[in-house]
Amino acid sequence: MLVLTRGGYALPGTSTDFKTGTWRTSRPQHQHWAAPCHSACPAGEDAQAYIAQVQENHPREAWETIVTVNPLPSVTGRICPHPCEQACNRGSFDTPLAIHSIERFLGDEARRQGWTYPVDPGRGAGAAVAVVGAGPAGLSAAYHLRRRGYQVTLFDALPEAGGLLRSAIPINRLPRDVLDADITRILGLGIEFRGRTRLGVDVHIDELRSDYRALFLAPGTAKAKAWSVDGAVPTDHRTALELLQEWVAAGSLPTPQSVILHGGGNTALDLCRAMKRAGVKEVHLVTASGLPGPGTEPDDIINVVPRELNQAVEEGITIHPHRTIQRLLFRGSKVVGVEMVALRKLPTKSGRTGRIAFEGTETLLHADMVIPAIGENVEPTGFSTLLGGKEYFRPNNPFGRLDHTPGVFVGGDARGDRGTVSAAIGDGRLAAIAIDAYIRQGDDPEENGRDTIDFAHINLNYFEPAPRVEEPILPVAERTDTAEIDGPLSGAAITREAARCFSCGNCLACDNCWTFCPDNAVIKTTALAKDGSHYVFDYEYCKGCGVCASECPCGYIVMNPE
Amino acid sequence: MTTTDDTAVETSVDTTTDIAARKAALRNRLKDKRGSNEAPARAGTAFSIAELREHQPAFRGLEAGHRACQGCGEALGARLVAESAGPDVILTNATGCLEIFTSPWPQSAWRVPWIHSLFENSAAIAAGVEAAMKHLGKSTKVIAQGGDGGTFDIGFQALSGMLERMHNVLYVCYDNEAYMNTGVQRSGSTPHAAATTTSPAGLERMGKRHLKKDLLSIIAAHHIPYAASASVAYPVDLRRKVRRAMEVEGPTFLQVHCPCPLGWGHESSVTVEVARLAVQTGLFPLVEFERGEVAGVMPLRNPKPVTDYLKLQNRFRHLFSNDPRAREEREHLQALADHTIEKFNLRGEEADPLDSEGADTVRRGGLVA
Ligand SMILES: Cc1cc2nc3c(=O)[nH]c(=O)nc-3n(C[C@H](O)[C@H](O)[C@H](O)COP(=O)(O)OP(=O)(O)OC[C@H]3O[C@@H](n4cnc5c(N)ncnc54)[C@H](O)[C@@H]3O)c2cc1C
Ligand SMILES: Cc1ncc(C[n+]2csc(CCOP(=O)(O)OP(=O)(O)O)c2C)c(N)n1
Ligand code: SF4
Ligand code: SF4
Ligand code: SF4
Ligand code: SF4
Ligand SMILES: [Mg+2]
Repeated sequence: MLVLTRGGYALPGTSTDFKTGTWRTSRPQHQHWAAPCHSACPAGEDAQAYIAQVQENHPREAWETIVTVNPLPSVTGRICPHPCEQACNRGSFDTPLAIHSIERFLGDEARRQGWTYPVDPGRGAGAAVAVVGAGPAGLSAAYHLRRRGYQVTLFDALPEAGGLLRSAIPINRLPRDVLDADITRILGLGIEFRGRTRLGVDVHIDELRSDYRALFLAPGTAKAKAWSVDGAVPTDHRTALELLQEWVAAGSLPTPQSVILHGGGNTALDLCRAMKRAGVKEVHLVTASGLPGPGTEPDDIINVVPRELNQAVEEGITIHPHRTIQRLLFRGSKVVGVEMVALRKLPTKSGRTGRIAFEGTETLLHADMVIPAIGENVEPTGFSTLLGGKEYFRPNNPFGRLDHTPGVFVGGDARGDRGTVSAAIGDGRLAAIAIDAYIRQGDDPEENGRDTIDFAHINLNYFEPAPRVEEPILPVAERTDTAEIDGPLSGAAITREAARCFSCGNCLACDNCWTFCPDNAVIKTTALAKDGSHYVFDYEYCKGCGVCASECPCGYIVMNPE
Repeated sequence: MTTTDDTAVETSVDTTTDIAARKAALRNRLKDKRGSNEAPARAGTAFSIAELREHQPAFRGLEAGHRACQGCGEALGARLVAESAGPDVILTNATGCLEIFTSPWPQSAWRVPWIHSLFENSAAIAAGVEAAMKHLGKSTKVIAQGGDGGTFDIGFQALSGMLERMHNVLYVCYDNEAYMNTGVQRSGSTPHAAATTTSPAGLERMGKRHLKKDLLSIIAAHHIPYAASASVAYPVDLRRKVRRAMEVEGPTFLQVHCPCPLGWGHESSVTVEVARLAVQTGLFPLVEFERGEVAGVMPLRNPKPVTDYLKLQNRFRHLFSNDPRAREEREHLQALADHTIEKFNLRGEEADPLDSEGADTVRRGGLVA
């Protein structure tokens, strides 16, 4: 009979009796970082999170992820200058994710499919809160307050909600049926909208303060900044915003032979394009900012949506970057042109940056009309005590809480340093959170403490170059005042685009750690681990080699010394 | 080490019953293993890691608790091979790190039948087991394993004989380019200019004087149905090659490149990175032979300079000194890589999803297979 001695064999898998985890000096841990796209989004969207849901083919859940912070993804997907894409780690590899296209697709899909906002206003204290100004900031605050169960009354001087989205932004960039449908859906959550009600005229701040537990003020900026060039002002000058609003409302525009716009934002560029299309032969934009390119610092780039700039150039707008107007040329009392001079944003003696003009670079530019587009301040009527003589509200906290005026919060363009739809939406959300805390006498909510993951943490070996999707854009000859210029993308194109995401700082469920651990110390599970991933470390056996951390494509594993 | 049976070294066991019981136990464990990866249904309870370990969605032939160094490429290579080969196998093992670190008596990290006899005879033992299986009418595949010392050098004649007699055996060589288990002595596989304890860098020489033996071509020259090289850095490719080699009737051979943090002198965390660079520089080409002819290669997209690979490892540290010979040897290694790239026509013409950059692409839900 065959006999094996005890020394001659061992039972299968019995090595697990020996806990190699005691060898370890540092332990791998999952770390959910903030993705750069998330940190850069003024509205607070976590693009990484919803792109992951698109990758999993759950578009509705992806949309719900967005609308827990931003109720207007079809709007921001179209017109936000998308700083998320400037920050996207993929930009250092090939080209950034077309985050705005994915966002827009989800917003449009929600409307097409009739997905309802995941809002249950039943919960919460039910107290009454007033919101003044129904632009994106006010709409966002109303929505987020409603989500928390408050009774919200939304006041606006105009008959309809939307703010500048409705009154100024060109229809060919933001179709009004898109805007109307979304606003209707938001107000449909049980928000009382009172149009044609101007604070300071029809209602007064003290009234509101006594009738409502808290107030959110988002009047935007409507008072044109004073414009003069070295003391001279053309007698009949109109501002770009006025002209644009007239054009959006009535379709009419002045059509001189040539025009010079002075300013460097969306208002200037939108008016340039509208006038060019209306038949103005020569349209010049004089801006102190630079064009994107090697010679321009990121904070010095003209503050418009990048693809709008390309389209404007295609349409024949002449841009004079890093220039200002230092003299108006008159014939009699009529303006006939300007004198430009080159300038740059540079550090000055005081340490702050200032715009320095360079003597000897003066040039003349002739035109029939000069239009300022240098921005607006808060219209003080109704707010003068709160403004205290300043041009904007300047709360010293991200929530917009005004010191000395308990229960009053402000946000959006009225803060002076905002200027985008997404910043307005972000302000509305933060204020809603703070108002909720104020009414419940809780503490200010904690800010997101996650550090942002940088490009160096991404293991590029695991990604392939892939072209970015580009939305179809109407050819110049087919562009009109009303037809949307940027077309939609198909679901298939969106899926392809989402697949390019590095999943910065969050698990991609790629299995690498599970595959590469020489010690079988990464365990995979269908159930969700506490951190939301499907992987757990078995510290009884993990020797702390660090292979999993090096080979995690997304930087989701870090080694912490023990 | 804890043992329950320290004094019982000489206790005899009736293997007929014991083996049957072990097989039954194993079958039960394997049934779990091959079942779904659904966590056991027990609502509201958290599962212990030990329970989850029993419900992994892939077969595990090599278990945790083995004594390999941190970041051992050989442990990773063997894990991946055993995983892809599946449960219906018998393994033999030559003496070497893999044998030692997986079988510290009275334990074993193997969950499949495994036998070790000597340093030089893994292939001979496998040939015998295969003959026995044939005699019993069983289809269980036999896999012989050995290190590079056990394969390129001391076990070579047994291997050559096994191949020549056309046994239905897959031979896997875990190539960590030196005799690691006895303290890093040079082998026929150690690359040119690498320092080992028996080919030190110094006044006389810049590391190993001779070249890495082209074993794969020698093996292929036995006219066997399938012989291939693989790397732990490309697990999808490795798994495919194991499955291919398992399917083929007759002798097959795999040479798996396995970095050794201890012997190569690199951080344990960069094991996979080092293995990847060996492939991407052209120093370790991934090639498949059928009946002696090249049947496929993994093309290189933009081959990297060999210094990218060398500078991560202390065994090549002397090549970065001021000594004029250092430069010469670096150039020599680059020329060897260029030669290999030319010889196997490795340079890809255009980006290919299966080339050195594409083959490891991931997506949500796993590697792109
Ligand atoms: C032409 C143009 C193009 C633009 N393009 C873009 C773009 O492409 N991308 C981008 O991100 N941003 C763009 N912007 C900027 C963007 O529109 C604003 O940043 C954003 O609308 C600010 O939102 P808000 O809610 O703070 O203010 P607003 O949108 O200005 O809304 C304020 C609302 O408050 C109401 N209101 C004011 N005072 C009172 C009062 N006393 N009582 C009652 N109601 C009052 C107003 O009627 C208005 O409805 C553009 C702006 C303009 C002018
Ligand atoms: C005949 C014989 N000579 C020498 C040894 C000592 N010995 C044991 S393992 C080993 C080295 C093994 O090297 P390799 O095959 O490359 O495997 P590695 O340890 O590197 O994985 C040696 C020389 C032995 N066991 N038997
Ligand atoms: S790659 Fe994805 S997660 Fe990373 S910054 Fe870009 S969109 Fe965000
Ligand atoms: S690869 Fe495995 S052993 Fe190494 S640190 Fe990660 S879990 Fe631990
Ligand atoms: S390696 Fe892959 S599966 Fe593991 S944590 Fe990182 S992303 Fe997730
Ligand atoms: S010496 Fe090398 S091959 Fe041996 S166990 Fe350590 S790392 Fe692995
Ligand atoms: Mg070896």
